[in-house]
Amino acid sequence: MTISFRNTILAGGVSLAALILAAPMAFAQDAIFVLQQDEVGVPTYNIIATGNTNIGARLIYDTLTVQDADQSYHPGLASSWVEAADGMSWEFTLKTGVTFHNGVSFNATTAAAWLAFYAATDNAYMTASIAGIEAVGESTLRLTMNYPDPNLLYNLSSSFMGVVEPGAYVALGDDYGVTEAVGTGPYRLESFTIGSETVLARNADYTWGSSLAGNKGPAAIATITLREIPEASTAFLELKTGGVDMLLGVPTDFLGQLAQEPAITTIILPGQEVVYMPFNVTKAPLDDIRVRQAAALAVNQQEILASVYGGVGLVANQFLISALPESQVAPEYLISYDPVQAAALLDAAGWVAGADGMRAKDGVPLSISLWTQSDSVFRRLTEVIQAEFAAVGIASDITTFDSSMIRDQYKTGEQQAAVRSYYWNNADIVDWFFGGDRLGYPNISMFNDPAAEMLRVKAMSGSATGAERITNFTAYHEYILSQFVMAPIYQPVQSIAYNHDRLVLPAEIHGTRIGAATILDMTVSE
Amino acid sequence: MLGYTLRRLVLLIPVFLAVSIVIFAIIHLIPGDPVDSLLRVGSGPEQRAIITARYGLDRPLYVQYAIWLGNLLSGDLGTAIVARRPVAELVLQALPPSLILSGLALLFSTVLGIALGVVAALNRDRLADQIIMGGVLLGSTLPSFWLGLLLILAFAVQLQWFPVSGARGWSSVVLPVLTIGLGGMALVARVTRVAMIEAAQRDFVLLLHAKGMPPLRIQLRHVLRHALIPVVTILALRIGWVLGGAVTVEVVFARPGLGSLLIKALNQHDYPVVQAALLMLAMAVMLGTLLGDILQAAMDPRVRAALQ
Amino acid sequence: MTALTPAVRLRQSALLRAARSPKGALTGLWLLGLILVAVFAPLLTSYRYDVQNLPGAFAPPSAEHWLGTDEFGRDLLTRMMYGARTSLSVSAIAIAISVAAGMVLGATAGYFGGRLDRAVTLVVDLTWSFPEILVALMLVAIIGPGVTGTMVAIAVAYLAQFTRLTRAQIMAIKSETYIEAARSLGASDAHIVFRHLIPNALAPVLVSAMLATGDAIILEATLGFFGLGAQPPTPSWGGMMSSGTAQLFNAPWIILFPGLAVATTVIAINLFGDALIRALDIRSRLRVA
Repeated sequence: MTISFRNTILAGGVSLAALILAAPMAFAQDAIFVLQQDEVGVPTYNIIATGNTNIGARLIYDTLTVQDADQSYHPGLASSWVEAADGMSWEFTLKTGVTFHNGVSFNATTAAAWLAFYAATDNAYMTASIAGIEAVGESTLRLTMNYPDPNLLYNLSSSFMGVVEPGAYVALGDDYGVTEAVGTGPYRLESFTIGSETVLARNADYTWGSSLAGNKGPAAIATITLREIPEASTAFLELKTGGVDMLLGVPTDFLGQLAQEPAITTIILPGQEVVYMPFNVTKAPLDDIRVRQAAALAVNQQEILASVYGGVGLVANQFLISALPESQVAPEYLISYDPVQAAALLDAAGWVAGADGMRAKDGVPLSISLWTQSDSVFRRLTEVIQAEFAAVGIASDITTFDSSMIRDQYKTGEQQAAVRSYYWNNADIVDWFFGGDRLGYPNISMFNDPAAEMLRVKAMSGSATGAERITNFTAYHEYILSQFVMAPIYQPVQSIAYNHDRLVLPAEIHGTRIGAATILDMTVSE
Repeated sequence: MLGYTLRRLVLLIPVFLAVSIVIFAIIHLIPGDPVDSLLRVGSGPEQRAIITARYGLDRPLYVQYAIWLGNLLSGDLGTAIVARRPVAELVLQALPPSLILSGLALLFSTVLGIALGVVAALNRDRLADQIIMGGVLLGSTLPSFWLGLLLILAFAVQLQWFPVSGARGWSSVVLPVLTIGLGGMALVARVTRVAMIEAAQRDFVLLLHAKGMPPLRIQLRHVLRHALIPVVTILALRIGWVLGGAVTVEVVFARPGLGSLLIKALNQHDYPVVQAALLMLAMAVMLGTLLGDILQAAMDPRVRAALQ
Repeated sequence: MTALTPAVRLRQSALLRAARSPKGALTGLWLLGLILVAVFAPLLTSYRYDVQNLPGAFAPPSAEHWLGTDEFGRDLLTRMMYGARTSLSVSAIAIAISVAAGMVLGATAGYFGGRLDRAVTLVVDLTWSFPEILVALMLVAIIGPGVTGTMVAIAVAYLAQFTRLTRAQIMAIKSETYIEAARSLGASDAHIVFRHLIPNALAPVLVSAMLATGDAIILEATLGFFGLGAQPPTPSWGGMMSSGTAQLFNAPWIILFPGLAVATTVIAINLFGDALIRALDIRSRLRVA
């Protein structure tokens, strides 16, 4: 076995050179987006039964109505609608000529079948107000109500109420949404690797874009790849070096640097998110309301806003985004940093500070474990909170969970405090996260209080008009705040960064976020 | 030769069984009910019953192991908890990228290591030798993930020659291979150098010198051939090392592969995937070692004789 | 008999001999300095490693903060000094456990031979065939993240090495004449193993342990990088690099300096170990198979 040394080196060198020179092929009308952090780890595109979803769902499915940034509602798959004067019935006129990705035609019958699926799932509350669904002819859907629902149009515009093809939904069973998903949207599901990537291919038959879109279809971009990159710095570097075209959520750390990048444009949209810390009210020491209040008051929202988020966004002093009227609670309910009060409360509760500043009672140290998802911004925020707790004498340890696992972990009820966020622009999020029948997840606080339940029912199903709903929800919200079931932290804005040498976005972004309307109007310039 | 190969293959079986027992035992060593390691958190009693029946968790341990092993050998690696797909599918998807990465890294570290070792040996105790051996030591003591990040910073971000992460296109494999290879070549270089120096002192080399053969030719055509024997010996060890390095590198560069599958599964407590990924990696190490041993036996008759 | 066997005396003067070579002196001083810094960290720095100063986050190296600050405004040099404590102690203790267990196992296997030897070798070789990072990950999967898991993981990962080395030493020594003499004088097995065999096997094992500590530091840093090592706010070099990756672009010093610390420490250990091997002239005894 003679080895010709020189030849081996030459061969190796040539192969290496070939590797280096072979650049990745960039396909013309294809785009790669990186999902925002709280949409990472979605386990399925079965939006009827799932608790979280991502932009892919908003491209695979259409909704009956769409909501614009000013909270007004516009035609989606429903071209018009009429609500009876007493609010006890609705009539929706559906668009014609619409087909699902598998060829089945969208009409009142299929719509009625789809709508009926929700009653058996965790999302049943979205159709709880509906007593009866009737398909009248090809394109009229008549709903009779259990009670007037001022929130019906909101629900019908939500990501969870995209129209699913009933036949496929029933036929695929548990596999629906994982191996296949059938909607009427501008894109169809090509492939889905949980926690990693979704590939969407343009629906060439699409011509029924909502009124928020300039281009009614088909979309210009042929393939969209949605990548889930958990490390913010990796995502940023990918955008900077052209590996991806758009980041759907940009951590504030990188906004300054992105501003210096010649090829990158950053858009800021009004925030629809709240970062908060729910407390498990059934687990000591947080079963004592004084401890909960002290923990909530230990959080320095201003400093967090300035240092962790670079001053971008708003502090949160209650549970809802500031744009909602129900967020305007009476000032005595607002929760903000007050370490003196926190210390006083802990003293009153019997937790005495030792020489090192940490508190204990009867030899048991005051300790709260903090759970969060394994995302770099959340981890950092949680470490800051750990230090802020230590400043008032509360010891804490941090456990991170992978984002695809953490919602299941909450269902065990083992948590004490969690650092997390939600994205929702409707007051019924209070019901979602604190409703007594949803213990574990989404009710991470394990909160089940009779007074709260009464206020909840009144707000969800006892409001005849929009104005009444606002009043009832404000009252429910105020009660929740008074129980200190969570600590509000921060309200992010939506920051999106994209490579303007690759993508051309419409001049104005319609809707509350980047969705089908914007993407229909998006092109790849090359 | 064939006899030797067969004998080594047969010897592999008890090792494989022993390793499989350890991996099987993982779900029983973790605190808590083994059923919980195999299910989504918060699954209902019907789910638990299904899993218990499927893995025989209510039967004695050796029966459970037999069931598990039987499933394994027929290709059923269980169902992933998070992805809800057969684990075999996930593993088969992850295998090719890992093999490509490890193979290229092994090739790179071997070729570079031999080259540097030869140059160092030829310039023994002179400046080139010191520099090479010093550089090689540096490469092997840097934590691989740190080296990877530095390479990303220098070549992917500043110079933009290569992509930052992912597995799109051949250029994405360069930095990961460099990261693993620069660490792995140290041992190869050192062994080559020592082997070259020792082999150069053998009698037959003196004879060749006396016959008037040019010294460089002696070194490269004769001495090197002998020096390569110990190098091939350690190659078998290197395979395990390269696979271990690939785990870290796959995470740093966000590349799909067995390593990132394993780390992700560990974070997600997805034990069916953890077990399968560990088993695959172990088998890769064992087969690689076997290949190295066979190669060594092919090159060195003394080894074959020793096993007679 | 005297406690100072020839082997022990040889070892003590060897350390000094190793230190006399320029390579040995430099690296020996560096390591000594590192250990002193780790031990006396609280005296050397007035900053606290766990108190945050958010407005001062991401400060580049300056007169006030020699190595800059991290994402929570904590002085990086201070964190590295305390991190030295974590990284060095975790690695050293883990290796110490591994050496102790390995020597017992290896001596037993080597001395008694036969089936015991084969059994021990088989079990120990299980880990030998795996790369250390995999063994470590497997153990951390079972035990969970944190300092305990890391220590056990490292100890088990290197157990095979010390067992095999000890076994090889024992097998080489046990047929020596002075052992036969001891046995004929009526010495028990335990006496022979613990008073004669092990002390003479010590030199290569201890040097090997020293070199393994270097590898262990890297392994500990890798586990910390995966988030499986010491938990916040306890600093460790690997953990610092892990949180530093998120700031790779705007604050590269967070990941640069701990990495340099690991690299220089391990190089120093390797070079000093090399000098020690030369001084003791035991290179041939370090072969393991």
